[in-house]
Parts: sequence; C-alpha cells; structure tokens
Amino acid sequence: MSSDGAPEVVAELREILARATGRAELLGLSEQTPLFGAGVGLDSLTGTLLLREVHRRFSVDVAAEDLNLDALATLGTLAAYITGHAPARPAPGG
Amino acid sequence: MIVKCVVWDLDNTLLSGVYLESEAQPPPPDPALVAAAAQLRDRGIIHAIAFVDDDPYERAEVSFAVPEVLVLSPEDMADAVGWPELSPAVVTAEARRRGEMYAERRRREQEARAFAGSRDEFLRYCGTRVTIARAAETDVPRLHELSVRTHQFNTGGEPVAERELRRMVGSAEDQVTTVRLSDRFGDDGLVGGCVTRAGQDGTWTVTLLMMSCRAMGRGVIEALLAWLAGTAARGGATRLAVPCLVSPRNVPLRLALTAAGFRADPGVPAGQRRAVFSRSLSGPLPEVPGWVTSSVAGRVTEP
Repeated sequence: MSSDGAPEVVAELREILARATGRAELLGLSEQTPLFGAGVGLDSLTGTLLLREVHRRFSVDVAAEDLNLDALATLGTLAAYITGHAPARPAPGG
Repeated sequence: MIVKCVVWDLDNTLLSGVYLESEAQPPPPDPALVAAAAQLRDRGIIHAIAFVDDDPYERAEVSFAVPEVLVLSPEDMADAVGWPELSPAVVTAEARRRGEMYAERRRREQEARAFAGSRDEFLRYCGTRVTIARAAETDVPRLHELSVRTHQFNTGGEPVAERELRRMVGSAEDQVTTVRLSDRFGDDGLVGGCVTRAGQDGTWTVTLLMMSCRAMGRGVIEALLAWLAGTAARGGATRLAVPCLVSPRNVPLRLALTAAGFRADPGVPAGQRRAVFSRSLSGPLPEVPGWVTSSVAGRVTEP
C-alpha cells in the first residue's frame, strides 16, 4: 500500500475494534500491532463485525477485493487500505 | 434449499374473511421492501422464505418482485408440508432442540451484555467445551443437515447427500470428523464437521468443512483448524490445504482461515470463486483459544 492511513480512519478503526472485542485498551492500539494472533486476536466474529463496520462507514468492501485479507495484517495496513480505496465521503449530514 | 421462514398472509387463510381492508389499490412495491429483499438476497436468506397468500394478485406480485421466494396458495400449502423444502427427511436431535437452544443463546447473550470483563473473559466464564470425534453412521443425518443449513462456515456451498456422507464415513480414504459444543448455558450438540483426505505428496486436503453459525465467536472453528493442523502434522503431512468456494457469505470462514495462517494460492485472479487456502505444517501451528477445553473423543485415526 503506497498511501498511509488517514489519522481519522485510524481513530475510527480503534473505536470499532474496542467495541467489537469489548477491550477499551484497544483505543490506544499501535498501528504496527497485528490484528490476528497475539496482538488483537481478531477471530471470525470480531473480524466480521470489523469488516461490516468498515463497509458501512467507509464504503470499502475489503472481503470482496482482498482474497487473503492482507489488509487486515495490522491497524496501519487496514487504515492505509481504506484510505486508498474509499470513495470521497459525503459531508456530515449530507 | 430448506424453507426456514413462512410468511403467511392472514386474510382468508388462517382467518376466514379479510382481517384488514384497504380502500386503496395495492401500491407499487415499497422501495424499502425492495431494498430489504436485496439484503436478504445478498445474505442468501431469500431462498429460505415461503410466502403464502390467498390473493393471486399478491402472489404474482411477490413472484415478480422476488422470484427466489417460494410462493404458495393456502391450498398449495396443505400439500407443501410434505415437500422436501418444508420437511427435512429426518428431524435431528439438534433440530428438535432448536427452540431450547435459542433460549440458551438468549441467556448467554444477556449475560454477555451484563458481563463486566472483555469478550475473552466472558468466554472463559462460559466454560466452552469442544469435543472432536470421528463421525459415526448415526451422525450422518446431522452432517447432511449442516451441509444444507450452513453458509458462513462452509467450504463447499453445496448440500452433500446422506448417501455420499455415509459412503465417506465408511471409507478408508476419507476421514469424517465431527465437532460438538457445550458450555454452562447449554449443549449445542453437533455443530460442525469436516472431511479430510491424505495425499501422496504430503498434503492433507480438507475436502469439506462446515460449521453452524451458532458456534461463531465461541472458538470452535479455531479449535477445529488447530486440531486439523496438529493431527495432519503428527500424521506426517507437511501441508494442510482447504479448497474453498469463495462467496460473500463465507467471509467468516476466510477470516478463520487467515487467522490460522492459511493463504490462498498466489495467482488466483480477482473474482475467481474457487481458491485453495493452505498452510505449511512446519514451525508454530495454530493454537486452540485459551478459553476452550478441547478434547478428542474415542479413536480418531489418521486416514
């Protein structure tokens, strides 16, 4: 991924992850922490919640475009993927 | 596809006469309903709905707007209860207990919402038990049911006939494995199964993998994948492969495979629906989640 994740995307992802896992400490998650395995421990349920929320909020369907879900490697890779693939967001309330 | 939901118009069917009379002509389909139908279609639920109405105009309208729905008149319905879509050949123990399981799930979800700790801590508190065993003949009806009913965790996407499952259970080449789940809230019974085959090239192939979405988020698919990798490695395999029909519906399965270190073959063109996910069996293998007590019942032999 050439572009980095926009800071507001990173912040929103932290919030989604904290809610999906019930772990408030993920609000301080570093961009380099792996989402699978020891880091966040994303599983099929929390991963599905995350992908649905990403699709809803950013209009990016990661699962449809990324067979191996490489975008889910870390918070940083996911934010970069979203920033690179998201259509322009409508103004709030618009 | 088995019908899971019957939408029954009351007028002149269950009630004699018309329950609510509208003065207006039937309006064109509500855009919200069309959008809801599109969502049901995306999630693959639409095939599981039957619509019963005494009014031929409304039947035609629903058939036209949502062709996947099974549309019946009340007279058809009397006959249709004998059709395979509406009556599975065998009612499994899991199907019979479905109502109780929903009640158990509601209690589990209520306690989860009230629970102070993290999701992991809650799952630990649940005392989740996963039991893996070699399939017996008596498991065949439930395995068939899983092949029909599961979509989010299903590598095949096609029902597997009982005859075929029975053949595999009895075959020396295929190993059919069952997964059962229980916790402090109740017993979900047989929630998953898989079929594995050992190849000559050191690769074990999971030719079918399916799990009820009821077991989702409870560590079951993770426990099964960890057990498969461990068993294959002990059986001398160097690689574990899971061919998969990729669809928008089985994204949870792909998440579980990715989390367990499986990767799709490089060079699968975007949009290709069949992919083989595989992983090496050297180095650290996927682990059973800490909250799961996983046990192997009886003799589970390598194929």
